[in-house]
Amino acid sequence: MHIVDGALSNSVVIAGTVLAVGGVAMGLKRLSLERIPATGILSASFFVASLIHVPIGPSSVHLILNGLAGLILGWAAFPALFVGLLLQTVFFGFGGLTVLGVNALNIAGPAVLTWLLFGKLVERSSPTTGAIWAGVGGAFAIAATTCLVAFSLMLTGDAFIPAAKLVFFAHIPVMVIEALLTGTAVYLVRKVRPDLFSAIKGAAH
Amino acid sequence: MIRYLALIIALIALPFPAAAHKVIFAIFKSGDSIEGELGFSNGDMSAGTTIQVLDAQGVQIGEAVTDRDGFFIFTPTEPIPHVFKADMGAGHVAEATMPANEIAEILGVAAIEETLSQQAPAGTAETAAQVTVASLSNEERLAIAEAVRDEMRPLRRELAAYREKNDLQTVLGGIGYIFGLFGLYFYIAARRRMAGQ
Repeated sequence: MHIVDGALSNSVVIAGTVLAVGGVAMGLKRLSLERIPATGILSASFFVASLIHVPIGPSSVHLILNGLAGLILGWAAFPALFVGLLLQTVFFGFGGLTVLGVNALNIAGPAVLTWLLFGKLVERSSPTTGAIWAGVGGAFAIAATTCLVAFSLMLTGDAFIPAAKLVFFAHIPVMVIEALLTGTAVYLVRKVRPDLFSAIKGAAH
Repeated sequence: MIRYLALIIALIALPFPAAAHKVIFAIFKSGDSIEGELGFSNGDMSAGTTIQVLDAQGVQIGEAVTDRDGFFIFTPTEPIPHVFKADMGAGHVAEATMPANEIAEILGVAAIEETLSQQAPAGTAETAAQVTVASLSNEERLAIAEAVRDEMRPLRRELAAYREKNDLQTVLGGIGYIFGLFGLYFYIAARRRMAGQ
């Protein structure tokens, strides 16, 4: 999921960085005092989740948890995931500093999109139905991320369809795991602390 | 809130293995040629990948293909900087450069080997006599260098793997940074709110 330094052309890197800066600014603007601790915790979850590897065939893929971050945080997922990515780059050398913007966009963009598409559905429905929608959202976020990664590579010259296929099929198991994880997490949160979603959303407006 | 925190802690405390999806690309001198290794930090080596060899201006001067273990060998012919580029698809690219002086050293070894092979047919008895007198012949030196390289190879691989290890301290350090950053932002936001009231 992390594109490395030198894999993309300059124009893609610059465009990605500009969009990511916009996303982070938007997220910080929407980030109220009450949401900061939750944002930090989800940022830490994302940071560690990428170290959990699922071995698949000859390769292995890792969890991303961007769907969960998006559903709970909305726009604030942007700064949360950005900080996680930055520290992964600095500590583990995942990705690279120049492509940080593109990576942030590829991972946080689907998080926000998931929130826009499924956030309301998860909030309004009962905990069980909400958990199912959250699971769909979790899988959707990964699928969207794979498409964006393939798209970034395509803009630099790779053929879109084979690249997208490769990344997409490799991540089907991750989609399943993330769907289960996101669904369970949202279900648990709704059960033990039903006001979390409404409290966070309420404070945002 | 405590139960929510417990959930998050349970999530982040899931067992995490050390591997990561990072490209490892290393080149080193090996007698009269350049040896390289290409793979991912989780231990998968990249087999059958074409490595482009370019000069400093980006003009292709040759190429090499990795074997089953991700190893490749390239024999330089000119003492100029060599840039090795690998593209494994899906955004996994790597680049490594060997400076001109190291290439020159390799060519120096190649020159010695060449003179040795030319001398070889002529009187072996003579060279054998020389060996007993001189401390080490060039031939022996090359043989020793090769033996040492073979012995060093697993060590070098282990060292590379160790460098890529994500230990718990680093992970905890990262989490600490995240909490610290968000704590700082919380402080700034709280101050702003207090000032506004």
